[in-house]
Amino acid sequence: MTGVHDLGGSPGGPIDKSQHEVEDWERLADAVTIVLDKKGLKTTDEHRRAQESLPPEQYEALSYYERWVAATELLLVEKGILTREEIDARAEELAESWGEG
Amino acid sequence: MTAQRFKPGDRVRVRPEEKPGHVRTPGYVRGKEGRVESVLGEFRNPESLAYGDPGLPERPLYKVSFRQEDLWEGYPGPAYDTLYVDIYEHWLEPAREETP
Repeated sequence: MTGVHDLGGSPGGPIDKSQHEVEDWERLADAVTIVLDKKGLKTTDEHRRAQESLPPEQYEALSYYERWVAATELLLVEKGILTREEIDARAEELAESWGEG
Repeated sequence: MTAQRFKPGDRVRVRPEEKPGHVRTPGYVRGKEGRVESVLGEFRNPESLAYGDPGLPERPLYKVSFRQEDLWEGYPGPAYDTLYVDIYEHWLEPAREETP
């Protein structure tokens, strides 16, 4: 049994080749992840490991950058940089000022 | 620099075992035989970097070629179709028998 991410050779079905505009939150997700690397707070390898550790049904349901955000959150909590409560509280503030969208 | 166990042209087999956690060796080459094409250098081990360790000592990384028909049962393409995978040395062992 390989991980949920290790898809090589599994039946893939049709490939969705449609493009979508990169959204602002996706740019932010990318930027935050890279800045954490540059500051030496995490590595790409840790980030990949964190993505692969998501429950399989969650891994499959999330989009590419949603997985990035989920993994970044896992690592920030794991390393004691932020607590889950701080992240949730901030997310709630943002939801109030920006709407749930 | 550590001594490299394999050199270009060597026949190798990817270790078949399951290894829990973060690995960079895709499942579909495990237990398969291929050929070392080149030595790509020595790099910190991503399998321990992934858990916050320094990933030392550095491990040799090889470019290994596989015949597609060795990887996929009933592969419909030509016999010379080849797939290249970058594989760290600790995943490789000498191939069990010489292939002609």
